[in-house]
Amino acid sequence: MSERSKLLKAVQQYSFAVLEASLFLDTHPDCSEALAYYNKYKKLCDEAKKSFEDKYGPLTAASDANNKSWQWVKAPWPWELSANEEA
Amino acid sequence: MWQYEKKLQYPVKIKNPNPATAKIIITQFGGPDGELGAAMRYLSQRYTAPCPEVKAVLNDIGTEELGHMEMICAIVYQLTKNLTPKEIKASGFDTYFVDHTTGLYPIAASGTPFSAEIFQSTGDPLADLTEDLAAEQKARLTYDNILRLVDDPDVRDVIKFLREREIVHFQRFGEAMRMVTDQLDAKNFYAFNPSFDR
Repeated sequence: MSERSKLLKAVQQYSFAVLEASLFLDTHPDCSEALAYYNKYKKLCDEAKKSFEDKYGPLTAASDANNKSWQWVKAPWPWELSANEEA
Repeated sequence: MWQYEKKLQYPVKIKNPNPATAKIIITQFGGPDGELGAAMRYLSQRYTAPCPEVKAVLNDIGTEELGHMEMICAIVYQLTKNLTPKEIKASGFDTYFVDHTTGLYPIAASGTPFSAEIFQSTGDPLADLTEDLAAEQKARLTYDNILRLVDDPDVRDVIKFLREREIVHFQRFGEAMRMVTDQLDAKNFYAFNPSFDR
């Protein structure tokens, strides 16, 4: 698996853990165990996003990765096979 | 307000185009139990939800459904890359192609265009959440039927992920329904709209 794919996979995995925990917290807002899980994966997710963006461009239009030049239009869009390939 | 993230929730990487499969999968874009309808249903219903937790569930699941719509579209897009007119005709994809080429247009597998008539936003949380629970089951069974019809492991892997999400959403909507009924007394069940009656 390419380095880009590895970093993107980490972003997708941690983002998923964060989303799943948020949905659970929506109906269990006082569950401290779920909040601790959320906080753990939110931190890992933020770190994974930063590692990805430093090398492969912005994940959001508001990202710091766009500061020097408009990188938003450069990397492939997520529905392209090339954005998902493991090659 | 929404902010776009330039990634899919779960990767879609389909090596072999197959327009006949695309014709089936597109039903989860614009069909009666598809992801577009799901997103519009929850994001429309959230405004009059009776308590903040239920607003959060509708908001956040509605937002996730937009991501699922994108994954379904990515599957259809990748299944219809690099086709020849001969392949298009042989696969039966010609009836879609003539109007849309390989652009993404929300229709059911039958060809019926997306319509807001497939969902409701009633302003009554008991009615809305009951519809939402059914909607998750209907989407789950549509994914089950897709798994009965499609052999390509690249497609099946993504469909299995989406199917699992319907089950988790069903669970969260069940909890949301419980929260609404817990705030009513037994005499009020189905005779009182907690978003309207005071």
